[in-house]
Amino acid sequence: MSRIWKRFALILALVLVLTAGAGLAEPVTINFWHHYSAQSAENETLMNVLIPAFEAENPDIRINAVSHEWAELHDKILVSANSGALPDVARCDIAWLPEFQKMGILVALDETMPDFEEVSERLLPSAMSTSRIGGHVYALALNTNSKIVFYNTAMLEAAGVSVPATLEEWAETVRRLSGENANGQQIWGWNEPALAGWNICPFIWSFGGTLLSDDQTKATGYLNSPETVKAVETFAKLVKDGCITGFNSGDIPMTDGFGTGRYAMMLEGPWKSAELAGAYPDVAYGTALMPAGTGGSISVLGGEDIAMFHTANQAAAWKFMQFMTGEFAETEMARCGQIPVNRAALESDVVKDADYAPFIAAIETAKARPTVAAWSEMDNGLQNAMTAIVSGEISAQSALDELASQWDELLK
Amino acid sequence: MLNRTNRLQILGLLMPGLTVFLMFTVYPIVRLFWMSLCDMSFSSMLSQPFAGLMNYREVFADRTFWTVFVNSIVYTLVTVPGQMVLGLFVAVLLNGIRHFSVTFRVINYLPVITSWVIASLVFRYIFNTEGLLNYFLWKVLHVTGGNIRWLDTRWSGLAVAMILGIWKGIGWNMVIFLAALQQVPQDLYEAADIDGCGSFGKFLHVTLPGIRGTILFALIELTIGGFNVFTSIKMITGGKPAHHTDTLLTWMYYKAFSTGRFGYAAALSFVMALTLGFMAVGQFRMMRLRDS
Repeated sequence: MSRIWKRFALILALVLVLTAGAGLAEPVTINFWHHYSAQSAENETLMNVLIPAFEAENPDIRINAVSHEWAELHDKILVSANSGALPDVARCDIAWLPEFQKMGILVALDETMPDFEEVSERLLPSAMSTSRIGGHVYALALNTNSKIVFYNTAMLEAAGVSVPATLEEWAETVRRLSGENANGQQIWGWNEPALAGWNICPFIWSFGGTLLSDDQTKATGYLNSPETVKAVETFAKLVKDGCITGFNSGDIPMTDGFGTGRYAMMLEGPWKSAELAGAYPDVAYGTALMPAGTGGSISVLGGEDIAMFHTANQAAAWKFMQFMTGEFAETEMARCGQIPVNRAALESDVVKDADYAPFIAAIETAKARPTVAAWSEMDNGLQNAMTAIVSGEISAQSALDELASQWDELLK
Repeated sequence: MLNRTNRLQILGLLMPGLTVFLMFTVYPIVRLFWMSLCDMSFSSMLSQPFAGLMNYREVFADRTFWTVFVNSIVYTLVTVPGQMVLGLFVAVLLNGIRHFSVTFRVINYLPVITSWVIASLVFRYIFNTEGLLNYFLWKVLHVTGGNIRWLDTRWSGLAVAMILGIWKGIGWNMVIFLAALQQVPQDLYEAADIDGCGSFGKFLHVTLPGIRGTILFALIELTIGGFNVFTSIKMITGGKPAHHTDTLLTWMYYKAFSTGRFGYAAALSFVMALTLGFMAVGQFRMMRLRDS
């Protein structure tokens, strides 16, 4: 009998201990998915500097950060949305946000966070434009980038041309730089590694063209406007004349071609400096802004935003998002090559002395690609149309007319 | 007669395997079929409204679908016979030699165990516009007056993937056919000898009928494999230019994960499964016709 009592007492004690534990404030865990590569300096800073600092400030919140590959993260979020296993917060490529918004898995921050205005005012407006979808804001800009012209100094000198400042000069320079080198190898004045929006938009915008109406609901009259057609025609003519290449499967990869003097110029992002320093430390190159046309010098915005999913612990997640976009975290990340969007961090010496300082001017005038959910399908259509145009199968005008009506359908 | 206890015992023993089979094979297929009937895109990922045959209609109305469908058919029609003929040829040669048989078997099997990704990268390097092949053709042999853009057009890009597929598949076919060849009764060859049959005659009348079962097995396996080609296409051309070199799987992956059209991709997978099913039935029929 006493054994039974002993057992009962033990169980009772256990139950009491367990229930007492539940009464204490358990720290909230915020799952944060990102695509800083696991071995990178960014991840190092995140794990060893930022998260400890945040957790010290907020002892009731724990951050569980998980690193994914870029493409894997996108697919994983799609699948997790279905199975209801989304993280609280994720660092998202700006191109993914419209899709996620359309799926209804993002929190509209301007609606739910009372101090949203105050927080967003600390960040660059051009970068914040990437998270404004259909009248609401679904993320905070986290870091940004854009593309500027990289040119091979020796090749420009040898051809006796200067760095093009306008699009007319650009077309002429690209033409002059193309031909053959001393070894009888073909050289190209310009490299373009693909024919997607990321590649073609800077030309369309700088030529004064547009893709969509301001409210992003209509393509006809914009995508097939005379300015857009002129941009595409100029580009296609240069491809046809053997002055631009890089988007074919069999072409020399961009960095190799630039490093070995086969491509004289390219429009690329801040990561290219590090790549060139690693693979081709001896190649001398300069940088310049996208050549200006009637639309100005307009490059394309890249970068990442930080977004909150509807399943999140919103108060804790919002604290973490504010921290990540705050001056301290943005300045620390700026040391690893992430271009900040926080105005105070942008003023810091870390940024002024950084390799990517030339990109800051481009970012101020750069535009984001359309923030619509159908963008990946629209972008695919653009690539197909551009492929057909540069191969001479169809004229720019008729290809863009047809594409514009396709886009109108997708935008409905 | 099985009594009740026996039946329960059998059921209990089958349960673990059956559960795994139901969870990981039957359920995904049923779920996928349901997905193919739902409108499942970015705008309706969470609600998934029933859409009937909308996805199937869209698949068949899609010009790109027909391009990639033809690509997959051509890929299969070229690589399956290619691998089988060359694999059988090597197997017959190896079956006839006494020395170094193991060495040759290993050499021929090496491509099979090579990673698809690495092999694809090497092929890409060979067939690049400024790759090894063009260098030989132009600078060494002087048969071409310039670089040929192997990877940049639909058929030449696919041809590179097909050559890779055949090269990588010969070893597997060799092993399968070698095993089959050793099962053909020796006395049939002796009888053929007495009847005055030459080597080719023996191959045609004794060997081929003797390994018919294996041929059918290889044919079906390789046809499925041909329709499943993914890595090489993704790595060598990436579907470029403008999806002209995509195959069913690379296109399905693109539709699901790049454009979020899971419903379309699910419908496409059923179209593909049905095509494969019909082809397998056709292949069985063909073999049976030969039998009679």
